[in-house]
Formats: sequence, C-alpha cells, structure tokens
Amino acid sequence: MRKLLFLFTGFVTSLSAMAVARFPKPDFTSGYEYPDIVHGAPNELLWNVLDIVLLIAMMALVVWAAYKKRSRAVIYSVSFVSVAYFGFFRSGCVCSVGSIQNVVMAVVNPDYHLPWYVLLLFLLPILFALLFGRVFCAGVCPLGALQELVNIKHFRLARSVSATLSIIPWVYLAFTILYAATRSQFLICRLDPFIGIFRLGGDIGMISFGIVLLVMSIFIGRPFCQFLCPYGALLSVFSALSWKKLEITDKGCINCALCGKSCPVDAIRAPQYSKTKENRMKGVHRIIFFAILLPVLTLAGALLIGSQSNALSLAHKDVYLYEQLLQQQAHPNMEESLEVETFHALGGDIDELKAKVDDIRRDYRIYACLAGALIGFVIGFKLLKLSLKRSRQTYEISLARCTVCGKCFNYCPQNKSTQHKQPLISYL
Amino acid sequence: MKMRKLYRNIAIVTAVFMLVLSVMMGVSYYQMQQVSPLETGVMETLKELNETNDDNEQLQQQIRELDLLSRKAYFVQEGQLKTGIYLLIGMALILMLCLNLYFKDTKSLPDKQLDPIDEWMMKSHARKYLGWAAAIAAVVGIGFVVSRSIADKLLTAPSDNQDELLADSHQSGENIETDSLQVVADIAADTLSTAQQDVVDTTAVEDEMPELKIASKAFRGNNSSASSSARGIATSWNLKGKKNILWQSPIPKHGYNSPVITGRSIFITGADAQARELYCFDVWTGELKWTVKADGIAGSPSAMPKVNEDTGLAASTVATNGEQVAAIFATGDVICADMDGQRLWAKNIGLPDNHYGYASSLLMLGNTLIIQYQNNSNAQILALSAKDGHQIWSKSSKDKIAWSSPIIATLGGKSALVVMGNPAIAAYNPSNGSELWRVECMSGEVGSSPASAGGVVFGASEYAKCIAIDGATGETLWEASDYLPECSSLAATKDLVFCATSYGMVCAYDAKTGEVKKEHDLTTPFYSSPVVVDGKVYLFSNSGKVYIFSASTFDLITSFDTGEKTFATPAFTDGMMVVRTDKSLYCVKKN
Repeated sequence: MRKLLFLFTGFVTSLSAMAVARFPKPDFTSGYEYPDIVHGAPNELLWNVLDIVLLIAMMALVVWAAYKKRSRAVIYSVSFVSVAYFGFFRSGCVCSVGSIQNVVMAVVNPDYHLPWYVLLLFLLPILFALLFGRVFCAGVCPLGALQELVNIKHFRLARSVSATLSIIPWVYLAFTILYAATRSQFLICRLDPFIGIFRLGGDIGMISFGIVLLVMSIFIGRPFCQFLCPYGALLSVFSALSWKKLEITDKGCINCALCGKSCPVDAIRAPQYSKTKENRMKGVHRIIFFAILLPVLTLAGALLIGSQSNALSLAHKDVYLYEQLLQQQAHPNMEESLEVETFHALGGDIDELKAKVDDIRRDYRIYACLAGALIGFVIGFKLLKLSLKRSRQTYEISLARCTVCGKCFNYCPQNKSTQHKQPLISYL
Repeated sequence: MKMRKLYRNIAIVTAVFMLVLSVMMGVSYYQMQQVSPLETGVMETLKELNETNDDNEQLQQQIRELDLLSRKAYFVQEGQLKTGIYLLIGMALILMLCLNLYFKDTKSLPDKQLDPIDEWMMKSHARKYLGWAAAIAAVVGIGFVVSRSIADKLLTAPSDNQDELLADSHQSGENIETDSLQVVADIAADTLSTAQQDVVDTTAVEDEMPELKIASKAFRGNNSSASSSARGIATSWNLKGKKNILWQSPIPKHGYNSPVITGRSIFITGADAQARELYCFDVWTGELKWTVKADGIAGSPSAMPKVNEDTGLAASTVATNGEQVAAIFATGDVICADMDGQRLWAKNIGLPDNHYGYASSLLMLGNTLIIQYQNNSNAQILALSAKDGHQIWSKSSKDKIAWSSPIIATLGGKSALVVMGNPAIAAYNPSNGSELWRVECMSGEVGSSPASAGGVVFGASEYAKCIAIDGATGETLWEASDYLPECSSLAATKDLVFCATSYGMVCAYDAKTGEVKKEHDLTTPFYSSPVVVDGKVYLFSNSGKVYIFSASTFDLITSFDTGEKTFATPAFTDGMMVVRTDKSLYCVKKN
C-alpha cells in the first residue's frame, strides 16, 4: 500500500515537471515564420467528474474508517492521496474552501454562472458534515491533509486562548463574503498559503507563509484549520448538528483519559467537573446578559464595519483606481502610478468611473454591514456559549472542532481489542 | 532502540541537507530575479551595433548565438531550481517519515492526575479574553472611524484649495518639465467642477469679454508653428453635458479648414457648389458676426472644380495679421477682408490643376500674404500685399504638386519662409523670395507641413521620410522613417518632434537624433495636426477623440471622445481652444 502511494505521488509530481517554462520569443528576427499556435480543446469535464467522484469516494472512505473501523491508517492514507491528487496534481484549485466565493458571487449576482462541480465541491462536504461531521477536513481537504502529514507533536495552546482565536476564521469568512459579493477579489485564493507549494511556484510571500504554517504544523495540530480556515468555520456549524455523532469508541468510555491529549485540535472534552463554585443565579444573569448582548453586538458589528465600507471598498480595483486618480489630482507632484497611466492611456472617463465607483460603494455599504453583523453575532454567540455549563460524564468529542483525524482511536484501550495487529501507518 | 537512533540521525541529516539546499535555492532564486538574460550589456551593445549595420551577417549570427546561450543559461538555472524543489519535497517526505517513526512510541500521556482541567475556569478566561479582544477591536475601529472623518473634513473643507491647486498648477506651467503634472491638476479642477457644467451664463460673460492677447493667426497657430503660448486650457470637456464648453455654433457651409483667432474674432471658411464664404465668429459667444462671400471675382471659374470629397472646396485655412484676413478656395479665388467684414480685395490666381483639390493654407507675415500655390502645371509661391492684393514677389517652381502649407521659422536668428513639397523642403527669404537652401528629400504625395524648433526644420511625409535640417545651413541632421504622417503635420519642441499618422500610430522623435523616444498605438487615424500648448500636446483623431500628451515626455495624460468627427486643427488663445468639427464650431473654456 505504501509503495503504491509513493509511486502514485512520484508519478503525479513528475507530471508537473513536464510543464514547459514560458519565455519571450527572440526579438531578433531571422525571417523564420512562427507557425500558428493551435490550442487543443481542454478535456476539463473528465477531470471535474473525477474530482467529484474522488471527493465523494474519499469522504465515504473516511466515514467508513471513522465510524466502522475506527482506523487512523485509512484516514492517513486518504490524506496522502488528497495531497497528491487534489494538491499537487490538480494544483489545489478549485477547492471546497475557495468555492465559498463562487457560491457567494452566484447568490448576489444572478448573471454569474456557477459551474456545477464548484457547487458540488461546496455542497458535498457540508452534506457529509450534516450527516457525519467534518469528514472532509479529516484528510480529503488537501490543505488539512498536508498539515496532517507533517504533524509530529501537538503542543496545545491554552484552551481559553484557542477559544478566543477561533473567532478569526469567522472574521476571515465575513470578509471573504464581503469581497466576493462586491466582486472585489477572491480573498481565499489570494491568501491561500499552500497553493504556491502545490504549484511549486508562485507568490514568494504566500509560499513563505505556507512554509511557516507547515513548520508550525509539525508542533501544533493543523494551525490553518484551527485558526484560519473559513470553510472549516462553516463546516463546524453543520458538524455540531450532525446526524451521526462520532465517538472515540463504541464500547463505552472508561474515563481512562488516554485520549484526552491525543487530539491535535483539542476537540476532546473531559468529563465536566469544576473546581470553581459559582452562584447559580449569577450564571443565569450572565446568560441573560449575553443573550441581550447578542443582538447588540450584531448591530454594533454591522454599524462599525458598515461605517468603514468606504475604506474597505479600496480592495476593489475600480475604487482603488478612482482614489488614486483623486490622489493624483490633489498632489500633482506625485509620481503617476501604473494604474493611473493605463487609465489615461486607454482613454478612461473619470465621470464614468465615478458612477461605477458609486455603485460599488453602495454594494459595499450593504455587504459590509452584513459582514459586521456576522462578526458581531459570532462574538456574541461565542460569549453566550462560553457561559453555558454542560454536564458530561465521559470523554466526548466536540463535533464542531473535531477534524476526524482518527488519532484518538489508537489511544483508546477499548479499541485495542479490535486492533491487535496495527499497521505501521497507524502510528503516524 | 538502534532503529530509533537511526531514524533520528537520518532526520537530522535530512533536516541539515534541507536547510542548506533551501539557502542555496533562495540565493539562486534571488539571482534569477535580478537577471534579465536578454538585457545584458553585451547583448544591448550588439543590438545597437546591428541597428546601425543592417546587413552584417556575422554580427547577427553572433547575436543569435549569444541569445541562445543566454536562454540556455536561464533555463538551466530554472531547471536546477525545479530539481531542487523536487529534492526538497523528497527530503521533506523522508524527514517526516523518520520523525514519525522516531516518535511513534512516545504518546501524549494524560495529565489529569497532576493538573485536571477546570473547564469552567477555562470558559471564564475565554469569555474575558474574547470580551477584551472584541472591545479592543471596537475601540480601534471607532478610533479609525473618528480619525478618518476628521481627516476627511480637513481634506475636503475649503474650495479655496481648488483655486490654490489651480494657481499652483498654473505657475508650474512655466516649467515644461512639470507640465504633465500640471495637467493632472487641471484635470482635478475640471473634474471637481462637474457640478458647474452648465454653459456659462452669457450675461455674466458680457462683463468679462476682453480682447484676447494671444492670437492664432494661421493654420496651427501663429506662423503655422504648431505651438501656442496660451495657458490654462481645459483638459477635459463634454459636448453633450456642456462641461467646459463656452459655446457651440453651427457652421453655415462645410469645409476642412481650421479656425484662426485674433482679437475676439474667429475666422473660418466654408464652401459648396453655390457659394464660397469667409465667416467671422465671436470668440466669447460663438455668434456669427459677419460673412464675406467670394463672388463676383474676375477669372473665377463658373463651374466648381472636381475635388475629392476628403478635400472639398474649402480645405485651406485662412490667415490674418490682426488687421486683414485672407482666404483661398479650391477655385483659386482669394479674398481679403478687414476685421469688420468689409471685403478689401479679391482676385483669382488661376484655377489650380489639383486632382484632390487645393488644400495649402495661407500665411501672413506683416502685410505680406504668402500663398504656396500648389498646381500640377505651374506651382509657385506668391507673396501678395494684404492691403490691396498686389503681388510683391513670386517664385515659380518645377516641384511636383503637394498639399502642404508654408510656415515661418526663425532660422539663424532671422525669419524664413519654409515650404515643403515634392521633392524638396526649401527655405526662402520672406521679403524677396530668394532661396536660402533646398534639400531634396521628399517623394510621393506630400500633404504634411513642416515644423521648426530651435533653429531646426523638421519635415515628414508618408512614403518618404522624417528629416531634420539645420535651418542655418540646410544641412541634413538626421533622417528617420519609423512613423510618417499622411495629412497630419509635425509639431516640435527643442527636444521632441511629434508625429501622428493616418494609421493610428503617434510618436515622438528625439529632436537631436531622430530616435523614437516614445510611441503610442492609438488605432485611430489622424488628419488633424498636433499642437504644443502649455507643456502639452493636443491632438484630435478623425473620429473626434482627443489625446493630450505631455510635451516633455510624450506620456499620454488623458484622452476622451468628443463624439464629433474632427479633421481640423484647433486654435488656441487665452484659456480657450476653438475646435472645428465636421458639424460645428465650439469653444472649450474651463467653467
């Protein structure tokens, strides 16, 4: 199996090496006439179908491995295939994480044609999350899988800190929606830290960021998935409501606590007991307070981010150009930027541009308010959730956080009886 | 245990190897970023040499070999970088495998007994952190909102800023190097004043309608120099929205000639089969003040000559000296009127034998009216008295027919009449018509007119060449043939020569060397000529699109469509530009 995986990885890696580097033609003429370039029709449909088939097959395999076999080996193998195929071979695009943007654009703009496979890439992991939890994150997502493959140890942040940091993916998601809805830019694609690694080239800054994240992943379980991934944030909601609840063992927890520290994303919750005693009414008052605060924070977020819509709209190229033109007018001694020079060279009309910018800014006012409301709501909801006490008798998986990596299965002594002879890969 | 050590050692060696390889690759990447293989000093020198040695096969072979070598070197380095990446990926796989195997028996053990997690405490802390984080974010956000609104207020408040901006930019217009920047300031003013787009109230204008100090007395300005000392010309306008449009008036009869301005009068002509007319419009109001007809002239043909539709019967631009204004038509009829519209004299100088139609424009030097009488059979240069039309001197020529117009240039410190035809560009003494020098360099149908700057005469025509001639000696300074005009004429400063072609290319030649300093492919034909004004070059395409360039760099500053076909060259005066389109005459002035 291992050999096969390595062979497969080697094969797909060598394919990308066959790509021909581009370079300008000689500008010194010799009379040679270049033949017309004939482009073959792309056979993208086949690959799209294969993408979807593999996505479904791999998520189904993870479900089978997690629910039926409780086998990390299978999930780990899926990670290999995902990195090799979705990552290096398919260059990490289009991925489910990035598909959020396409879907948002399609929702706000009826003229935008949403490809069927992009819609499926977006919906299928959500559907599986609703049924079985975040099986997509387990090893099917190439971004998560790559971090999973390099993870050796998992030094955990204090849970209070990681709970605070878990807001970041929602903020990221809010801005992703804002920029996609206003057709400004695809933030996820722009800030994808691993795309440069999968493509063996790209923006040096983002590649460096990706390498830093990968080095961090050696010691911290999936830092991107935990603290950045906007699609993970979305899946966590559906996963929390999943039909089937993933359990560490089906033989009943004996509270041995062995699984407690095995989870790289700190998704295993110990039995609830508290050293801190608190007056019950104080807790109730806190819950009421945060329940009232929730709409207030939502409104405040909407107002705050909405008030910054003009500044945020600079992410749109037309608004940026318009502002540059105004800057140029206000400071005639300023060096003319390439954008301004091009605008003039193409005979751009500043009045037309202004009308366009006004429309864009109107959109920004609406979507910035929505993005702010989402951020405010998430903060309020998180505060409310942190005020609730839950009784727990045994070690349980937090379905919202769990990325179904399967590490805890091997730690549980209850599972040992069915895992007498473990393959080497189970230890990874 | 032995195996663990082995895994550990392999991991360490791999990690060190990866580190070294990464550094090497980083250096290699940096080198690749810095190097442009085809722009090495040697290559550039060889290419320059090749440009001056067209048929040096050996040199060309040498360039080819060097080109190939540079490309090979680049791709070898790129290949090495790629190999390095694969090597890194392979090493990373080995490292991860070894580390995993090394740590496979070291599981994270529970710490429940030592320090049980107090989840409620954790939640309390998390609430606190989250609350603080949200509060700080909110404070930062509000701070940003407040500071931004204060900054906005400070920046937008006084409209005086705009005036200052204009004043500053106007002052900077004195310096040609900063002219393009001034235009941007002008654009700012134009744009900011869009709220005042209505045509200027004529009653308000009545109070401020002075005689204009800057005239444009012939085709392409005074002396047909393709330049003007006018300042503060608008750099954007809109005919439909009346933005920066002082007035727009219809023209009674059609013609391709360009407007001429003196005092507060604009002169143009129009003609059809029924009549040939000279018009005077008021520069402030656009009102047609008077019309003088070219009729009842002895020798005038009874039937109109056959002319090309693109030339028409009134292609020649009038000329004025501020006291008289003269016009010529395709019939050979010349009329002269005073500033009040009184016809002073009229004569027919002979029906020009011209297969497209007579097109050469007039020129006045003091009281002398210069006519470059283009004719298939009897080409000559005529100097007539502007007062009564009597001939002062004439110069017959055996040159072939052309459609070019004369200019007055300052050559060797003296005024000289420069005419361009087929096959020569020649300079004459305007007082007696004696030839100063003659350079035979043109061919084909010469429709373009010469230009002069810094004592150098420039001429260019399609199917011939662009040439620079020392005005003092008649010596050829340089020749070029990169881009050549068909109908449009050259304009020049002491540094650059501007050329607009009928196939959409416009360029600036270096006035000293003839090297193309900058070119723009504007994909629209130009018959109108460029004019250098206020550090900018104004140019209209046939379709009516305006292009404004920096006169110092020939960077395109702005361009926009006026919506009306324009073949004539605009005339400039104090803060105003008068444009003739195929439908109307309009005046651009900042609102």
